Amino acid sequence: MTEEELDSVIHAPARLRIVVTLATLGEGDDLSFTRLQDVIGLTPGNLITHLRKLEEAGYVTTVKSGSGVTARTGVSLTREGRAALDRYTMVLRQLLDSASPD
Amino acid sequence: MTDGQGTDEGMDAREAAGIMQDARKHAEHELQFSHPVMLAGWGVIYILAYGWLWLSVRGQRPYQGPTGGAAGGVTILVLVGLTITAAIVARASAGVGGLSSLQRRIYWLSLAVGFAGIYTLEAAIDHAGASRAVIAVIAASGPVFVAGVVYVAGTAVFRNWAVCGLGCWLVATAAGSAFAGPVAIWAVNGLAGGLGFLTAAAVSARRGRA
Repeated sequence: MTEEELDSVIHAPARLRIVVTLATLGEGDDLSFTRLQDVIGLTPGNLITHLRKLEEAGYVTTVKSGSGVTARTGVSLTREGRAALDRYTMVLRQLLDSASPD
Repeated sequence: MTDGQGTDEGMDAREAAGIMQDARKHAEHELQFSHPVMLAGWGVIYILAYGWLWLSVRGQRPYQGPTGGAAGGVTILVLVGLTITAAIVARASAGVGGLSSLQRRIYWLSLAVGFAGIYTLEAAIDHAGASRAVIAVIAASGPVFVAGVVYVAGTAVFRNWAVCGLGCWLVATAAGSAFAGPVAIWAVNGLAGGLGFLTAAAVSARRGRA
Protein backbone atom coordinates (compact mmCIF):
# COMPACT_ATOMS: atom_id res chain seq x y z
CA MET A 1 0.00 0.00 0.00
CA THR A 2 1.29 3.47 -0.89
CA GLU A 3 0.35 7.08 -0.15
CA GLU A 4 -0.96 7.40 -3.71
CA GLU A 5 -3.97 5.39 -2.55
CA LEU A 6 -4.99 8.19 -0.21
CA ASP A 7 -7.81 10.37 -1.59
CA SER A 8 -5.95 13.33 -3.12
CA VAL A 9 -8.89 15.68 -2.55
CA ILE A 10 -8.65 15.17 1.22
CA HIS A 11 -4.89 14.55 1.39
CA ALA A 12 -3.83 18.20 1.74
CA PRO A 13 -3.28 19.79 5.17
CA ALA A 14 -5.92 22.52 4.91
CA ARG A 15 -8.59 20.32 3.31
CA LEU A 16 -7.93 17.56 5.83
CA ARG A 17 -8.51 20.07 8.64
CA ILE A 18 -11.71 21.30 7.00
CA VAL A 19 -13.14 17.82 6.51
CA VAL A 20 -12.20 16.63 10.03
CA THR A 21 -13.67 19.80 11.56
CA LEU A 22 -16.95 19.44 9.68
CA ALA A 23 -17.08 15.74 10.62
CA THR A 24 -17.26 16.66 14.33
CA LEU A 25 -20.70 18.21 13.68
CA GLY A 26 -23.80 16.07 13.92
CA GLU A 27 -25.45 14.83 10.74
CA GLY A 28 -27.80 17.53 9.43
CA ASP A 29 -25.70 20.33 10.94
CA ASP A 30 -23.65 22.98 9.17
CA LEU A 31 -21.04 25.54 10.21
CA SER A 32 -20.99 29.15 9.10
CA PHE A 33 -18.18 30.13 6.77
CA THR A 34 -16.87 32.72 9.27
CA ARG A 35 -16.81 30.28 12.19
CA LEU A 36 -15.12 27.63 10.03
CA GLN A 37 -12.52 30.20 9.03
CA ASP A 38 -12.05 31.09 12.70
CA VAL A 39 -11.65 27.43 13.78
CA ILE A 40 -9.33 26.43 10.92
CA GLY A 41 -7.34 29.68 10.87
CA LEU A 42 -7.30 30.20 7.09
CA THR A 43 -7.71 33.43 5.13
CA PRO A 44 -11.12 33.75 3.39
CA GLY A 45 -9.47 33.37 -0.03
CA ASN A 46 -7.67 30.17 0.93
CA LEU A 47 -10.78 28.73 2.53
CA ILE A 48 -12.88 29.47 -0.57
CA THR A 49 -10.28 27.77 -2.80
CA HIS A 50 -10.23 24.61 -0.68
CA LEU A 51 -14.00 24.53 -0.24
CA ARG A 52 -14.40 24.77 -4.01
CA LYS A 53 -12.21 21.68 -4.49
CA LEU A 54 -14.14 19.77 -1.85
CA GLU A 55 -17.45 20.90 -3.33
CA GLU A 56 -16.40 19.80 -6.84
CA ALA A 57 -15.67 16.34 -5.44
CA GLY A 58 -19.13 16.31 -3.80
CA TYR A 59 -17.67 16.18 -0.28
CA VAL A 60 -19.10 19.44 1.06
CA THR A 61 -22.05 21.68 0.28
CA THR A 62 -22.37 25.40 0.89
CA VAL A 63 -25.75 27.02 1.33
CA LYS A 64 -26.25 30.78 1.34
CA SER A 65 -29.15 32.25 3.32
CA GLY A 66 -30.35 35.68 4.41
CA SER A 67 -29.11 38.96 3.06
CA GLY A 68 -27.27 42.04 4.30
CA VAL A 69 -26.22 41.74 7.96
CA THR A 70 -28.08 38.44 8.33
CA ALA A 71 -26.31 36.86 5.33
CA ARG A 72 -24.87 33.47 6.20
CA THR A 73 -23.05 30.79 4.28
CA GLY A 74 -23.42 27.38 5.88
CA VAL A 75 -20.85 24.70 5.10
CA SER A 76 -21.57 21.03 5.73
CA LEU A 77 -20.06 17.66 4.99
CA THR A 78 -22.12 15.53 2.61
CA ARG A 79 -22.74 11.82 3.11
CA GLU A 80 -20.15 11.20 0.37
CA GLY A 81 -17.71 13.43 2.23
CA ARG A 82 -18.21 11.52 5.46
CA ALA A 83 -17.74 8.21 3.63
CA ALA A 84 -14.61 9.58 1.90
CA LEU A 85 -13.15 10.59 5.27
CA ASP A 86 -13.89 7.11 6.66
CA ARG A 87 -12.11 5.53 3.67
CA TYR A 88 -9.20 7.97 4.00
CA THR A 89 -8.87 7.14 7.71
CA MET A 90 -8.91 3.41 6.97
CA VAL A 91 -6.21 3.65 4.28
CA LEU A 92 -4.12 5.91 6.54
CA ARG A 93 -4.35 3.41 9.39
CA GLN A 94 -3.25 0.57 7.08
CA LEU A 95 -0.33 2.67 5.85
CA LEU A 96 0.77 3.44 9.40
CA ASP A 97 0.36 -0.21 10.44
CA SER A 98 2.40 -1.44 7.50
CA ALA A 99 5.12 1.15 8.23
CA SER A 100 5.43 0.31 11.92
CA PRO A 101 8.08 -2.31 12.87
CA ASP A 102 6.70 -5.75 13.88
CA MET B 1 6.00 19.57 8.70
CA THR B 2 3.05 21.08 6.99
CA ASP B 3 2.38 24.76 7.12
CA GLY B 4 -1.33 24.29 7.77
CA GLN B 5 -2.01 27.57 5.97
CA GLY B 6 -3.81 26.15 3.04
CA THR B 7 -1.03 25.08 0.71
CA ASP B 8 -1.30 21.84 -1.16
CA GLU B 9 2.17 20.69 -0.21
CA GLY B 10 2.46 16.94 0.19
CA MET B 11 2.57 15.23 3.52
CA ASP B 12 3.34 11.72 4.62
CA ALA B 13 0.95 9.39 6.41
CA ARG B 14 2.34 10.20 9.86
CA GLU B 15 1.91 13.95 9.31
CA ALA B 16 -1.62 13.38 8.03
CA ALA B 17 -2.48 11.34 11.14
CA GLY B 18 -1.08 14.11 13.35
CA ILE B 19 -3.09 16.78 11.53
CA MET B 20 -6.26 14.71 11.84
CA GLN B 21 -5.75 14.26 15.56
CA ASP B 22 -4.98 17.95 16.15
CA ALA B 23 -7.88 19.11 13.99
CA ARG B 24 -10.34 16.80 15.75
CA LYS B 25 -9.19 17.88 19.22
CA HIS B 26 -9.27 21.56 18.26
CA ALA B 27 -12.71 21.28 16.66
CA GLU B 28 -14.14 19.43 19.66
CA HIS B 29 -12.69 22.06 21.99
CA GLU B 30 -14.17 24.86 19.88
CA LEU B 31 -17.52 23.37 18.89
CA GLN B 32 -18.51 21.19 21.84
CA PHE B 33 -18.84 21.80 25.56
CA SER B 34 -17.87 19.48 28.37
CA HIS B 35 -20.89 17.59 29.69
CA PRO B 36 -19.00 16.38 32.79
CA VAL B 37 -18.00 19.92 33.80
CA MET B 38 -21.53 21.18 33.21
CA LEU B 39 -23.10 18.34 35.20
CA ALA B 40 -20.63 18.73 38.07
CA GLY B 41 -21.26 22.49 38.17
CA TRP B 42 -25.02 21.97 38.39
CA GLY B 43 -24.50 19.27 41.03
CA VAL B 44 -22.71 21.81 43.23
CA ILE B 45 -25.37 24.50 42.57
CA TYR B 46 -28.07 21.96 43.35
CA ILE B 47 -26.58 20.96 46.70
CA LEU B 48 -25.93 24.59 47.69
CA ALA B 49 -29.43 25.74 46.66
CA TYR B 50 -31.38 22.95 48.34
CA GLY B 51 -29.02 23.01 51.34
CA TRP B 52 -29.65 26.74 51.76
CA LEU B 53 -33.43 26.26 51.55
CA TRP B 54 -33.31 23.37 53.99
CA LEU B 55 -31.29 25.44 56.50
CA SER B 56 -33.93 28.17 56.27
CA VAL B 57 -36.83 25.78 57.10
CA ARG B 58 -35.00 23.56 59.61
CA GLY B 59 -36.60 23.80 63.06
CA GLN B 60 -39.75 25.62 61.89
CA ARG B 61 -42.74 24.70 64.07
CA PRO B 62 -45.17 24.94 62.37
CA TYR B 63 -43.66 24.73 58.93
CA GLN B 64 -43.77 28.12 57.15
CA GLY B 65 -41.62 27.52 54.07
CA PRO B 66 -38.24 28.96 52.98
CA THR B 67 -37.44 32.47 54.15
CA GLY B 68 -37.44 35.34 51.67
CA GLY B 69 -33.66 35.71 52.04
CA ALA B 70 -33.03 32.04 51.21
CA ALA B 71 -35.44 32.07 48.27
CA GLY B 72 -33.84 35.25 46.91
CA GLY B 73 -30.31 33.92 47.38
CA VAL B 74 -31.16 30.65 45.64
CA THR B 75 -32.81 32.52 42.77
CA ILE B 76 -29.61 34.55 42.27
CA LEU B 77 -27.49 31.36 42.50
CA VAL B 78 -29.61 29.61 39.85
CA LEU B 79 -29.59 32.68 37.60
CA VAL B 80 -25.78 32.83 37.80
CA GLY B 81 -25.65 29.13 36.91
CA LEU B 82 -28.02 29.62 33.99
CA THR B 83 -26.02 32.60 32.71
CA ILE B 84 -22.74 30.66 32.81
CA THR B 85 -24.40 27.64 31.14
CA ALA B 86 -25.91 29.82 28.41
CA ALA B 87 -22.52 31.48 27.78
CA ILE B 88 -20.73 28.12 27.50
CA VAL B 89 -23.37 26.66 25.17
CA ALA B 90 -23.49 29.85 23.07
CA ARG B 91 -19.71 29.85 22.63
CA ALA B 92 -19.68 26.20 21.52
CA SER B 93 -22.69 26.52 19.22
CA ALA B 94 -21.77 29.85 17.60
CA GLY B 95 -22.00 29.43 13.84
CA VAL B 96 -23.47 25.93 14.09
CA GLY B 97 -26.76 25.64 12.25
CA GLY B 98 -29.11 22.87 11.23
CA LEU B 99 -30.77 20.09 13.14
CA SER B 100 -28.89 20.29 16.46
CA SER B 101 -29.59 24.01 16.71
CA LEU B 102 -33.32 23.33 16.45
CA GLN B 103 -33.11 20.40 18.89
CA ARG B 104 -31.24 22.55 21.43
CA ARG B 105 -33.87 25.30 21.24
CA ILE B 106 -36.72 22.81 21.76
CA TYR B 107 -34.83 21.25 24.68
CA TRP B 108 -34.44 24.63 26.43
CA LEU B 109 -38.05 25.49 25.62
CA SER B 110 -39.26 22.26 27.24
CA LEU B 111 -37.30 23.09 30.43
CA ALA B 112 -38.64 26.67 30.50
CA VAL B 113 -42.24 25.55 29.87
CA GLY B 114 -41.92 22.80 32.49
CA PHE B 115 -40.60 25.16 35.18
CA ALA B 116 -43.15 27.86 34.33
CA GLY B 117 -45.90 25.23 34.59
CA ILE B 118 -44.75 23.84 37.92
CA TYR B 119 -44.45 27.29 39.54
CA THR B 120 -47.89 28.24 38.21
CA LEU B 121 -49.24 25.01 39.69
CA GLU B 122 -47.62 25.89 43.02
CA ALA B 123 -49.29 29.32 42.97
CA ALA B 124 -52.60 27.69 42.06
CA ILE B 125 -52.62 25.23 44.97
CA ASP B 126 -51.59 28.05 47.29
CA HIS B 127 -54.52 30.06 45.93
CA ALA B 128 -56.82 27.06 46.48
CA GLY B 129 -55.95 27.10 50.18
CA ALA B 130 -53.47 24.21 50.42
CA SER B 131 -51.35 24.03 53.56
CA ARG B 132 -47.69 25.11 53.59
CA ALA B 133 -46.72 21.44 53.93
CA VAL B 134 -48.56 20.50 50.73
CA ILE B 135 -47.09 23.47 48.87
CA ALA B 136 -43.62 22.34 50.00
CA VAL B 137 -44.07 19.06 48.11
CA ILE B 138 -44.64 20.92 44.84
CA ALA B 139 -42.05 23.62 45.55
CA ALA B 140 -39.26 21.17 46.44
CA SER B 141 -40.01 18.18 44.22
CA GLY B 142 -41.72 19.83 41.26
CA PRO B 143 -38.63 21.38 39.62
CA VAL B 144 -36.65 18.17 40.20
CA PHE B 145 -39.40 16.14 38.58
CA VAL B 146 -39.53 18.48 35.54
CA ALA B 147 -35.74 18.42 35.12
CA GLY B 148 -35.74 14.62 35.39
CA VAL B 149 -38.39 14.11 32.73
CA VAL B 150 -36.70 16.58 30.34
CA TYR B 151 -33.32 14.86 30.83
CA VAL B 152 -34.80 11.45 30.01
CA ALA B 153 -36.56 12.84 26.92
CA GLY B 154 -33.42 14.80 25.96
CA THR B 155 -31.49 11.54 25.64
CA ALA B 156 -33.28 11.06 22.33
CA VAL B 157 -31.42 14.17 21.12
CA PHE B 158 -28.08 14.17 22.93
CA ARG B 159 -27.62 10.39 23.29
CA ASN B 160 -25.87 10.78 26.62
CA TRP B 161 -26.86 7.76 28.71
CA ALA B 162 -25.39 9.26 31.88
CA VAL B 163 -27.93 12.10 31.53
CA CYS B 164 -30.71 9.57 30.88
CA GLY B 165 -29.76 7.76 34.12
CA LEU B 166 -29.65 11.11 35.93
CA GLY B 167 -33.14 11.93 34.64
CA CYS B 168 -34.56 8.64 35.93
CA TRP B 169 -32.81 9.21 39.27
CA LEU B 170 -34.20 12.75 39.58
CA VAL B 171 -37.76 11.57 38.91
CA ALA B 172 -37.33 8.85 41.58
CA THR B 173 -35.82 11.42 43.97
CA ALA B 174 -38.65 13.91 43.40
CA ALA B 175 -41.32 11.26 43.95
CA GLY B 176 -39.60 9.50 46.87
CA SER B 177 -38.68 12.68 48.75
CA ALA B 178 -42.34 13.76 48.72
CA PHE B 179 -42.88 11.27 51.56
CA ALA B 180 -40.15 12.82 53.71
CA GLY B 181 -42.21 15.67 55.14
CA PRO B 182 -42.06 19.43 54.44
CA VAL B 183 -38.68 20.04 56.11
CA ALA B 184 -36.74 16.90 55.17
CA ILE B 185 -37.95 17.06 51.55
CA TRP B 186 -35.46 19.90 50.89
CA ALA B 187 -32.55 17.95 52.36
CA VAL B 188 -33.43 14.69 50.59
CA ASN B 189 -33.83 16.41 47.21
CA GLY B 190 -30.60 18.35 47.71
CA LEU B 191 -28.48 15.38 48.72
CA ALA B 192 -29.93 12.71 46.41
CA GLY B 193 -30.30 15.05 43.44
CA GLY B 194 -26.90 16.72 43.89
CA LEU B 195 -25.13 13.39 44.23
CA GLY B 196 -27.01 12.21 41.14
CA PHE B 197 -25.56 15.12 39.14
CA LEU B 198 -22.03 14.46 40.43
CA THR B 199 -22.32 10.74 39.67
CA ALA B 200 -23.57 11.50 36.14
CA ALA B 201 -20.61 13.87 35.69
CA ALA B 202 -18.15 11.13 36.75
CA VAL B 203 -19.79 8.52 34.47
CA SER B 204 -19.87 10.95 31.56
CA ALA B 205 -16.20 11.82 32.07
CA ARG B 206 -15.21 8.16 32.22
CA ARG B 207 -17.14 7.40 29.01
CA GLY B 208 -15.53 10.40 27.32
CA ARG B 209 -12.06 9.04 28.08
CA ALA B 210 -12.92 5.47 27.00
